[in-house]
Amino acid sequence: MSERAVTPARQAPPRGRRRGVLGWLDVRGRRLGGWAFILNRVTGLGVLFYLYLHLIVLSQLAAGPSSWNALLNWFLNPIFLVLDVVLLAGLLIHGLNGIRLTLVEFGLVVSRQKALLLAFGTVGVIVLLIGALRFLSDVGAK
Amino acid sequence: MAGRADESGALSAPGERPVRWAPEERDTLPGVGWGWQAVTGALVLVLVTLHMIANHFVVKGGLRDYQEVIAYITNPVILPLETLFLVVVSWHGLLGLRAVIFDFGLSVRAERIVTRVLLGVWVVTVLYGLTLLAILVTHP
Repeated sequence: MSERAVTPARQAPPRGRRRGVLGWLDVRGRRLGGWAFILNRVTGLGVLFYLYLHLIVLSQLAAGPSSWNALLNWFLNPIFLVLDVVLLAGLLIHGLNGIRLTLVEFGLVVSRQKALLLAFGTVGVIVLLIGALRFLSDVGAK
Repeated sequence: MAGRADESGALSAPGERPVRWAPEERDTLPGVGWGWQAVTGALVLVLVTLHMIANHFVVKGGLRDYQEVIAYITNPVILPLETLFLVVVSWHGLLGLRAVIFDFGLSVRAERIVTRVLLGVWVVTVLYGLTLLAILVTHP
């Protein structure tokens, strides 16, 4: 199985679609699966960027309690908590879409794709709302 | 393997582009490719859910202060899980980045270089994470 085989953009690219990342912006002939593919790549890159940011920030733990706790107070201001909600949204989109993609790729629920999308979308929105309420209630909590 | 060009493009005429490998022959490492992205993705899904709940949902105030981080990370169940999370999530992320880079349509040679560089990034990431974990576990 090649990773290229699963990129909808490659399955039926319209004539003249640009290669590479700019091709993602090409709306011609793109169906639902194509949009999901783009969304997965964009959220994946975003979450990967966050992962490295997160790993760098964690190095402050090695500097001891005062450094870490000072940083923590900073992260409990509303701007960062809103960014946490954005992060959760990215994780939910990428994770749920990843499950959907894997199910479809292994030949499961191929005929019920729209229902699957609706179900996962509903789950995602509910978890995001719970997360947003949880995170935003933490403003200045420590 | 018959019909396959070596790195010097031995099957091609001089000055001609080397014969491009079939897509399924491009991956030079185990653990690379779409199937692995699904496998690591499934693992990441479980581990990230645990990580988010443990660090941001159940903790008072939504974030762990220093003492809470130490208590969490020295837990004998949590430590191996978070270590596994580090190893698997960085692999999954860099493998995804590799797929995005490959979307630009690189030569086989450039793709190989990308694969090796990203493998190096992964090794450094894991070593960095393990070092940080070791510091936190041994100097609470």
